[in-house]
Amino acid sequence: MRQWAIAALVLAGLAWGKTITVGLDADPPNLDPLLSTALVDRQVQNQIYDKLVDLDVNLKIVPMLATSWTVEQNATQYTFKLRQGVKFHDGTDFDAEAVKFNLERYLNDPASRRKGELAPVQEVRAVDRYTVQIKLKYPFAPFLAVLTDRAGMMVSPAAVRKLGKDFGNSPVGSGPFRFVERKVQDRIVLAKNEDYWLKGFPKVDELIYRPFPDDDVRMANLQSGAATVITPVAPKDLNTVKNNPNLTLYAFPSLGFQGIYLNVTRPPFNNKALRQAFAATLDREAVDRVVFLGTATPASGPFPPGTPAFDPGLAVPKRDLALAKKKLEEGGRPGGFSFTLLTAPGPVGAQLAQVYQAMAAEVGIQVKIEQIEFGTLLDKTDPAKRDFDAAILGWSGRPDPDGNIYDFLRCKGPNNRGGFCNPRIDELLERARSVRLAEARKDLYSQIMKVALDELPYIYVYYPQVTVGASKKLSGLSLIPDGILRFRGVGLE
Amino acid sequence: MIPFLLRRLLGGLPTLFLVTLLVFALTHLLPGDPIRLLLGEEANPQLAAELRRQLGLDRPVLVQYLGWLGDLLQGDFGRSLKNNLPVGPVLLEKLPTTVQLSFLAMLVAVVIAIPAGVFAALRRGSWWDGGTTALALTGISLPNFFLGILLIYAFSIRLGWIPPSGYVEPWVDLRKNLLLLLLPAITLGTALAGALTRFVRNSLLEVLHQDYVRTARAKGLVERVVIFKHALRNAAIPVVTVMGLQLGGLLGGAVVTEQIFSIPGFGRLVVDAVLNRDFPVLQAVVLLAALAVFLVNVLVDLLYAAIDPRIRYT
Repeated sequence: MRQWAIAALVLAGLAWGKTITVGLDADPPNLDPLLSTALVDRQVQNQIYDKLVDLDVNLKIVPMLATSWTVEQNATQYTFKLRQGVKFHDGTDFDAEAVKFNLERYLNDPASRRKGELAPVQEVRAVDRYTVQIKLKYPFAPFLAVLTDRAGMMVSPAAVRKLGKDFGNSPVGSGPFRFVERKVQDRIVLAKNEDYWLKGFPKVDELIYRPFPDDDVRMANLQSGAATVITPVAPKDLNTVKNNPNLTLYAFPSLGFQGIYLNVTRPPFNNKALRQAFAATLDREAVDRVVFLGTATPASGPFPPGTPAFDPGLAVPKRDLALAKKKLEEGGRPGGFSFTLLTAPGPVGAQLAQVYQAMAAEVGIQVKIEQIEFGTLLDKTDPAKRDFDAAILGWSGRPDPDGNIYDFLRCKGPNNRGGFCNPRIDELLERARSVRLAEARKDLYSQIMKVALDELPYIYVYYPQVTVGASKKLSGLSLIPDGILRFRGVGLE
Repeated sequence: MIPFLLRRLLGGLPTLFLVTLLVFALTHLLPGDPIRLLLGEEANPQLAAELRRQLGLDRPVLVQYLGWLGDLLQGDFGRSLKNNLPVGPVLLEKLPTTVQLSFLAMLVAVVIAIPAGVFAALRRGSWWDGGTTALALTGISLPNFFLGILLIYAFSIRLGWIPPSGYVEPWVDLRKNLLLLLLPAITLGTALAGALTRFVRNSLLEVLHQDYVRTARAKGLVERVVIFKHALRNAAIPVVTVMGLQLGGLLGGAVVTEQIFSIPGFGRLVVDAVLNRDFPVLQAVVLLAALAVFLVNVLVDLLYAAIDPRIRYT
């Protein structure tokens, strides 16, 4: 009886409070930033934890838990002034010791998956209660951008000490929402942090995350009102959302790129002319129209428009069949050749492969499509194996340009799946990391891309968009290109 | 009865041991590396090597198997590679969901199949018989994912009567729980009902030709009593066998249906575990499914005795 009464009270309470239900395409596996590798984790983590710094809609780095910072010692020393009076959800204080604890945990914990991003860090020092100094081993331009992501998330040291390995199952941060409960593959429930340091925020009482891996089901939940907001919206559903009077479609450029890896270490694509021939058959505008109904942007390189290293001088290559034929002849295969194109399962991967196949067929290039499961795709294209001709695979993107290029074009880069190697490019990539001036870096990247776009270990085809479908009752959603929906300032009518 | 039960249960142990071996071997034969999937985009080789060592995946397969078996004997299913949660509690959390859905689906199947099968058998050769056969075939052939989406479209989007997907525990809100499980139970139940209807019909037809049915009619019993008391009960043995097999299958997780209706049961767990090569979770679910099939079979054996007094276990 009492249980029922409590249940009824809880339900009544929910009915009064404002709840936003967010439909995602996957169940976020790890809420502890230390262990997190799946991108979808960040959707939930960004509500529970504050970061030292954040991104704004223009990708500018703005204060969050750090109110200001200075960079000294030839860009190897960062001094952060911290926000005062911030409390974690367990009531403990946020201060310089907490920052030191967090960064050292990310650097030293044997299970940490943040070591790569924080590799340049040499030492973290608490100067006084609200000042932290971070020394780097070498100048590293992307450092602040790294702190806008998981490596900058501040968790409660007291909770980590108490929960150890299980911290991720009852996470404690200082963010606008606190963790309530989680049922694997069903829901993650967060509640308003009543003591949030930004007065008057957040504006809703409860946030529920639910995974809907099936595109149709995610869409059905939005249409029926069971979900207030969903991301992503499948390309085929974009118009349905746009035309529904109760819904709003948000589509904005992401930080990533999509395209095709070509294996330059074995035939046929160890022949540069043949790589160029295949690339010349692609009509990027048509791909955008046919597969994405005009919501993607044709790509010219690894940096989407609106990001700091985007080079407007770089034109999107046009389809050129005459050039393709000329290159085929130059490559010694005037009649064309054939290769196998790998793609992951799913309607978009299949459609893309078919479009590429049809385009290449016009000059006699035969594309055999092989749809393989994602795990196997990563396996076959791994730089240690390179057991493929060509593969459709992209990148979600990072706010700093380095994250879109460094691991891809470096000889030993873990994402250098095509096997391109040029010592001069390696040198330029390293230099671009250490130069602080945005203009100088941009210039270095343009030099690198001039070579990479001629050598073509990767064909950049399009920049995907972040797509969000939301109820009209939702207001104040900020569209930040990293694709993470920050619910701190979001209201519900 | 008790000795029989003990013998059956003990006899199952070698089978279950073989299942552990098979499950382990099969999951490890899958192409694709869990570490690579775990790291996804972030393909840092040093991190991968360190992670592999930490999760014990660098040990020889035999050592891994023995370690897993040893933990298993102590009731420890290990931790998920993907989300670091202990597998045991997660399974326990999913168990009621899958059991409830399985029994509801079975209920739908029985409610449809028994009357439909009996009617078809009694009106053998009529349009009614042909009609049920056609419907049963449709039920068997209609893919779950299609019927599921169709039901969501009709009842959730068009009519707006039922939320399109989700799950609420029965002890939180029983009414909502049943409402949410209605469409999935129908989706699963109709597919089972198709096969079951055919079994009820054929089995009953066979029984109706028996001498004792003729005798029952000859002594002037009402047709209703003849059918339901004498014929149907005798026809039940093959039907119960099929139901047992179906239920065993359901308890392993209704993979497609759970995916469509976002029901957090074994089916979704197993899909996710396969896609991520989450060995500990995959092994545990498959082992549990095997155990469910085994237990249901024992139950079916016991039911035989209840249905047919001639069957006695000693």
